[in-house]
Amino acid sequence: MSIYALQKVIRDINRNPESRERFRSTPETLLAGYELTDAERAALVRRDYGALYRMGVHGLLLRPFSIMHSVAEKDYLAAIRGEGG
Amino acid sequence: MAISYACAMGHAPGITAWRDAAPAEQRERLYASFERLRAELAAAQPDVLVLFTSEHWANFFLDHVSPYCIGRAEQYQGPIEPWLKIKRTRLQGDPELASAIIEACYRHDVEPGFSYELQLDHGTMVPLHFLLPRMNLPIVPIFINTLSPPLPTGRRALALGRVVGEVARSWPRRVGIIATGGMSHDPGERGHGTIDTAFDQAFLDHLVRGDLEQLAKYTPDDFSSAGAGAVELLSWIALAGALQRFRGEVAAYEPVRAWATGIGAMSFAILDQ
Repeated sequence: MSIYALQKVIRDINRNPESRERFRSTPETLLAGYELTDAERAALVRRDYGALYRMGVHGLLLRPFSIMHSVAEKDYLAAIRGEGG
Repeated sequence: MAISYACAMGHAPGITAWRDAAPAEQRERLYASFERLRAELAAAQPDVLVLFTSEHWANFFLDHVSPYCIGRAEQYQGPIEPWLKIKRTRLQGDPELASAIIEACYRHDVEPGFSYELQLDHGTMVPLHFLLPRMNLPIVPIFINTLSPPLPTGRRALALGRVVGEVARSWPRRVGIIATGGMSHDPGERGHGTIDTAFDQAFLDHLVRGDLEQLAKYTPDDFSSAGAGAVELLSWIALAGALQRFRGEVAAYEPVRAWATGIGAMSFAILDQ
């Protein structure tokens, strides 16, 4: 459990176009720079918003992260509320 | 000089980014109120704008959190969000006024952080897009930590605002003050979309009456009952602290489901300056 590092990498992806591109092309190399657990790494790579939310990622980091990946609001809310998917 | 202008308005990103998702009637009533505030600002001819706004992880992260951060930069750029549908623009800062505010704060037992480099996000750029479409006045942004507890109380926001108001009144140029954010909303959280109109109306009523005593009573828990984002209304309370004696007028209030936020817009008559 390293919620600090997890939120830090999400903020980096949200804020930094270069990190965003690395996350898209070779996520492992970007994530290698952060102290993350295997579960956190997997949730990020799968873009599992429900898991990331339950791990404690702040909504104002996670929703922008999902917007960056063109996730509709209803799908995002269903994921964090644990409804389907 | 007297404070030349004051207003408060929401800054929900949907106002520009998902404009057409809102019902046309609500949208038009809000845009009309923003236009009214813009016209009032233009008529008041301020030389500089102080903005009480909220931090949304644009500048600060959990590696360094402070309750307030005052911008001393020569210039600012924003918005940082490529999807906001607001053109990225450069705005001039006013380090001289910012420094005067910071120094006055420390003399009056409020110790804000400060920064020479701050990014502007929707929290500042959405209101400026409507209020100052040419982006042609210098600004002093004052960021309030609304993200990472512990958060300030209404009483402390009033204290911060009071010092800003005193500096503004003694400043040789005309200062306008804008508060942004709120009202009830739970952005990105499980209650996203929930709007507490009773909470919002009660808050607006305190500002209409200029009731500092009631505003002082707000705690972070009071705000969180109306969603994680309602605490952004600390900006409005800081504005009330700057004005001290005033009457507010609700230019518009709309609970906009599509923007997941209660959107308020207020104009202020400042008394006894």
